[in-house]
Amino acid sequence: MSFQPLPARPERTLRLLDSLFRRNKPAADPARIALDRLGRSFERARATAIVAARPGLPDALRHQPLVSPRKGVDAARALNRASGLLAFSVLTDSALEHYRGAFRNKAMFTPLATSALTVAASLHGTTDQRESAHLFRDVTYALAAVTGLVGTAFHVFNVGSRVGGFRWVNFFYRAPVGAPMAILISGLFGVASERLRREGPGGRPTVFGLGAGRTLATITAGSMAGTVGEAWLLHFRGNFQNPAMYIPVTIPPASGALLMDAAIRGGEKRRTAARASLWATVATGIAGTFFHAYGVQRMMGGWRNWKQNLLDGPPVPTPPAFTGVALAGLAALDLLEGDDA
Amino acid sequence: MPDRQPDPVEEGRFPGYDVLRKRSSMSWNDRTREVVDRRLAVERGPRTLSADAFRCLEAVCAQIVPQNQGPSFAPLAAYVDEGLTLGLGPGYRNAELPEAPEAWAKALAALDATAQREHDAVFAALDDAQQKSLLQRMQKGELSGPEWTDVPPKLFFSQHVLTDIVAAWAAHPSAWSRIGFGGPASPRGYVRMGFGMRDSWEAAEAHPGQEAKAARENRRVR
Amino acid sequence: MCADQTILANREGLRSGNLSPMQQVRAAGGRAPDPHVTGGWLSMQEYADGEEVDFAIVGTGAGGGTLAAELAEAGFSVVAFDAGPYFRPLEDFASDETAQSQLFWTDKRIVDGDNPLKMGSNNSGKAVGGSTVHYAMVALRQRPESFASRTKQGFGADWPISWQEMWRYYTKAEDALKISGPIRYPWGPKRPRYPYRPHDLNAAALMLAKGAEALGIDWTETPLATVSAPRGKSPPCVYRGFCRVGCSTNAKQSALVTFIPRAIRAGAEVRDLAMVGRIEVNKDGRATGLHYHRAGQWRFQRARNVIVAGYAIESPRLLLNSATDRHPDGLANSSGLVGKYLMTQSNQAVFGVMDDEVRWNKGPPSLAITEHWNYDDRKDFFGGYIHMSQGPLPVEWSSVLTGSKGLWGDALLGELDKYNHQVGLKMVGEMMPQERNQVTLADEVDQYGLRVARITYSWCDNDKAMIKHALDFMQQQAEAAGVKEIFRQKNDTNHLAGTIRMGADRRTSVVNADCRSWDIPNLFVCDGSVFPTTGGVNPSLTIQALALRTADRIKELSRRGEL
Ligand SMILES: Cc1cc2nc3c(=O)[nH]c(=O)nc-3n(C[C@H](O)[C@H](O)[C@H](O)COP(=O)(O)OP(=O)(O)OC[C@H]3O[C@@H](n4cnc5c(N)ncnc54)[C@H](O)[C@@H]3O)c2cc1C
Ligand code: SF4
Repeated sequence: MSFQPLPARPERTLRLLDSLFRRNKPAADPARIALDRLGRSFERARATAIVAARPGLPDALRHQPLVSPRKGVDAARALNRASGLLAFSVLTDSALEHYRGAFRNKAMFTPLATSALTVAASLHGTTDQRESAHLFRDVTYALAAVTGLVGTAFHVFNVGSRVGGFRWVNFFYRAPVGAPMAILISGLFGVASERLRREGPGGRPTVFGLGAGRTLATITAGSMAGTVGEAWLLHFRGNFQNPAMYIPVTIPPASGALLMDAAIRGGEKRRTAARASLWATVATGIAGTFFHAYGVQRMMGGWRNWKQNLLDGPPVPTPPAFTGVALAGLAALDLLEGDDA
Repeated sequence: MPDRQPDPVEEGRFPGYDVLRKRSSMSWNDRTREVVDRRLAVERGPRTLSADAFRCLEAVCAQIVPQNQGPSFAPLAAYVDEGLTLGLGPGYRNAELPEAPEAWAKALAALDATAQREHDAVFAALDDAQQKSLLQRMQKGELSGPEWTDVPPKLFFSQHVLTDIVAAWAAHPSAWSRIGFGGPASPRGYVRMGFGMRDSWEAAEAHPGQEAKAARENRRVR
Repeated sequence: MCADQTILANREGLRSGNLSPMQQVRAAGGRAPDPHVTGGWLSMQEYADGEEVDFAIVGTGAGGGTLAAELAEAGFSVVAFDAGPYFRPLEDFASDETAQSQLFWTDKRIVDGDNPLKMGSNNSGKAVGGSTVHYAMVALRQRPESFASRTKQGFGADWPISWQEMWRYYTKAEDALKISGPIRYPWGPKRPRYPYRPHDLNAAALMLAKGAEALGIDWTETPLATVSAPRGKSPPCVYRGFCRVGCSTNAKQSALVTFIPRAIRAGAEVRDLAMVGRIEVNKDGRATGLHYHRAGQWRFQRARNVIVAGYAIESPRLLLNSATDRHPDGLANSSGLVGKYLMTQSNQAVFGVMDDEVRWNKGPPSLAITEHWNYDDRKDFFGGYIHMSQGPLPVEWSSVLTGSKGLWGDALLGELDKYNHQVGLKMVGEMMPQERNQVTLADEVDQYGLRVARITYSWCDNDKAMIKHALDFMQQQAEAAGVKEIFRQKNDTNHLAGTIRMGADRRTSVVNADCRSWDIPNLFVCDGSVFPTTGGVNPSLTIQALALRTADRIKELSRRGEL
C-alpha cells in the first residue's frame, strides 16, 4: 500500500486513516469521547492536587502515576509521544543529512517517508484513548523499526565502503552509524505501545508476554545507550570543545542506568531517582537543541550562512532524540509502579 | 585570428554558469567584491607600455589565450600593463633578465622588429599562422638577432609571456565561469567533498545528453 | 614608504576611514588589531626606542611569533618587528589569488644557479605572522633519525638536539596550535593523540588513499593547523580552499591568530611595517639594538638581546648587511657559514584527471598524506620525502600547466577546462645541504636602500635521484588510483631552510643548540635558517617546536644569570 504525504489538516487524515484501518470499527461517538476526556482531566487534576500538597519535593519528582485501570493506555500514549518525538527528530535530521548526501541513492528518501508516517501515527496514537491496537499504527511502527534496521545496515556499509574502510575518519564523516537507530527505537516504542493497549482493562500490562514495565525499561535503556554512543562519537569528533558537550554523554547514560536499576531492583527510592534523572535527560534534549543552534551561530557566517552551516554545524534536529527516549523511560517507570508487590 | 571560441557562459562544459551571479551570495565577502569589481573595471588603454608595444601585446595575448570579443572578454593586455605600472611582480627576478617593465618593452619591440624583418609588418598585423609560428620559435628560443640580446627569448617567454598573461586570465571571472570553478568562497565554503559531489552553489557540468539539465542547475547557482 | 608600496596599497583599496594595512601602521597608539574581531582592538603595551628592552625580535612568523609569546609570558619586555602589514583576516582577505599576493614577500631578490629558486608566493611571507599566514598548515614531525643524519644516515650534519627532546616540544607545539590530525599516526614512534580530530577527506585526498591501498602502503589524514571544531573565536574550517592565499575565517591557526595575540596580551609590543635594516654591535662584541625603518624614517631600538627570525633569506641578509669594520663578513660569521647551506625542499608532482568530478579546490589543499618514503630505507639515495594530495586554485594551476607543459592557446584552454577533474600528488622532499647553495648580497638595493639578496641554487645528484624516485612512485600510485593523462611537474621547489645552521661546534655552525650565536652572546636566531638538515617533511612545526625549546632555554639561561 502507499500513503499520501500528510496534507495540511492532519486530524482529518487521521480520522480517515482511522476509519480505514480500525478493525472492529466502533461507532465514533463524539459525545462519549468528550465525556471520557473530561473525566480523565478531572481525575488528573485531582491527583495532581493531592500530590502537590506533599511539600518538599521538586515538581517533577512529585509527579505520581495515576492509579488507573487504564494504565496500559496511558503508558501507550506516553510511548506514542516518545515515538513521535523521535520520529520527528529523524525526519528533520535525515532530511538535512540526506540532502547533504545529495540523495545520491534513492533509498535515502525512505527514512523521510517512514518517519513522517511515524509522526502521523504517533499523533494519532496520542489522541487515541481506546484500548486496542490499531492496524495503521502497528504497521507504520513496524515499518519504522525495519527502516531503522535496514538503514543501520546501509550506513555501516557506507562507512565500510569508502577507501580506508572502518577507520575513524569514515565513522566521523560518512553516514552516521547510530542515526538510523533513532527510527528503529521510535518504531520499537510504537510497536510496544500497541501491545500495551491490547491488554484488557484491569490486567497487568504486558509487552510480548513479559512485564511491560521491565521490558520497556530495558528497551529504553538500550536505546539510551545507542543514542549516547552516537552523541559521543560526534562530540568526540568535535573534540568536546565546549564543556556542555559532555552533558549528553553523562546525564542520559546515568538515567539509563538508574532506570535499569529501578526496573531490576525496584523500590520507590530507585524509581524516584530514575524519574529525576530521566527528566534531566528530557531537559538535556531540549537544551541540546538550543546549544546546537548556538553552535551553528559559531560557525563561519553563523545563521546567515545557513545553507552551509545547517549542514556542517552541529545538527539542530538530533538532541530531541534524548527527550524522546527519556519520555519512553518515564512511561516505563509508570508501568513499573506497583511491580514491587 | 583564431577561430571563434565557444562563449564560456552559454556553451562549453558548464552551460549557463556565470560565477558573477554569486556576487551577492554568502560566497563573496565585501573585500572580494571590492577587488573583483576593480578588476572588471580595469582601464583598457596602456599606461606604462607605448601604444605600439601595447598593440603588439594585445596580439600576443590573443594567441596565448584565444577569446571572443563579447561581454565576457578579459582585457589581458590591460592587466599585464597594469601590473607593470603598479610594480606587481613575483618578488624575484632571474639574474639574466632586466626588471619586468623594461623586459616587456624590449621583448615586444623585439617581436615587432623580427616580424618587420621577416614579414614586413608589425606582429599585430601578421596572420594567425605567422603569429603562432613566431611565438613558437620564441618559446623554443629560436629567435635571434640584436633586438633579443637583453631579453633571451626562451626565458622571457616562460617567465613573462606565459606567466603574466595566463595568470591575468586565470584571475578573471570569465575564466572561472568557463572552467567551472566555484570562485570566491568566504564566508561560505563547501559542504560536499567526495567524488562527484556538488554543492548547490557550484557549477554543474554538462554530461553528454544532460546539457539542458546542467544549464537549468547552473542558472540556479547562487 | 616607497612608491611601489604606496601604489600597491592604493590598488588594494582605501576603505572608507580604514587605511590599507599595506600603507598605514596599525599597531600603534597603545593598541593593535584583534584579528578575531571585526574592527576589534587589543590593548598593547609600547616601549620607547630609547628604552632598553629585554628582547628585540626581527620577524613574527613561525619562529619569531612563537618566541614573542613565550618570552612575553615569561615576563620579559619584548618588541617584535615585522616588515609586513598587520592584517585583519576577517576584513582584509579577499577570496582571490591575485589580490592576496599582498601576503608574499615580493621585494626585490635575485635568483641564479643551475636551478634558480622561485621565490615570493612559493616560500616567503611578509606579514605579522610571517609565512604561517599563507602556509598550507601541514604540521608534521621529522623522523627521529633526521635529527642525526650524519651518524644515523650518513649524510649532512647532526642536529645538536636529541629527537626525544624535539618530540617533547613537538607535543607542545601541536597543542598550542590545536592540530587536527588522525587518531593514530601510522609512522614513527608513538605520539600523543592530536588535540583535534582529523578533517574529512575531499575527493583529491581519496585518490591518494585509493592509490596507497592499491600499492599496499600506509596513508593517513594530514595533521593540519586548521581546526575541525571551534576553538575560542576560531570557527571550524569551512573547506573554502583558499588557505594558501590566507584564511579569511581564522580557522587556520597561523601565528597571526595564535601566538601574536598571546604575545600582545602578555605585554609584548608588535610593530608592523617595520623593516629592520641593521643590527648594531658595540666594541665588546655585544648587540645593542637595531635600526629599523617605520612610518617613513629610520629609528633605533635599544635592546639587551636581539633575536633574528626573518627566515632563511632575510635572516642571513640582515646579518650580512650588518657588517662593520670589526665584523667585515657580517655578524656572527666567524665560521664563514652565514648564508651557506641554503636548502629548499623538492616539490615535484604528478597531475592527471579522473573520470569522476573531483573539484580539488574544496578544502585545505593536502588532506591526505603518506610518509612511507620517510620511513622506508630501501632506496638508493639519502633522505626521505612525503607526498600529499593537491588542490591548486586556477592561477596557480594555470602556472603549473604553462610551467610544466609550456601550453598556450587552445591547447592550454582545453587542459584548463578539465579543472574539476584534476588530481595530483606532490612531494615534499629533503634536499641535501650543500655549501654552494647560498644567500649572498647583490649590489642592487631595495626600496629601503638595503642590498638585496642573491639566491644561488643548484640541485645535486642525490636531489635528482630522490626526485626521480618520487615522481616514479607517485605516478605508479596515481595510476593505481585510476588517474589518467598523467604528467609530471618537474621543476617545483618550496620551503626554505639553512643559511645560519646550528651545531655543536663553533667552527662548523653559526649558532649553538640554544640558537644562540657562538660569536655574539646576546644574539639569537630562531627560524628555519638554523636547520642543519631539512628533513623530509614541511618545516614549520619543527620551527615552532624549536622556538618553544629556545624560549625554555632562554628562561633557563636568564634564571642562571647567563644571558
Ligand atoms: C605557500 C606556502 C605554503 C607552505 N605550507 C607549509 C605547510 O603546509 N607546512 C609547513 O610546515 N610549512 C609550510 N610552509 C613553510 C612555512 O610557512 C615556513 O617554513 C615558516 O613559516 C618559516 O618560519 P620562519 O619563522 O622561519 O619565517 P616566516 O614565517 O617566514 O617569518 C618571517 C617574518 O619575518 C619578517 N622579516 C624578515 N626579514 C625582516 C626584517 N629585516 N625586518 C622585519 N621583518 C622581517 C617577514 O616579513 C616575515 O613575516 C609554506 C610556505 C609557503 C610559502
Ligand atoms: S579551507 Fe579552511 S583553513 Fe583553508 S582557508 Fe578555508 S577555512 Fe581557512
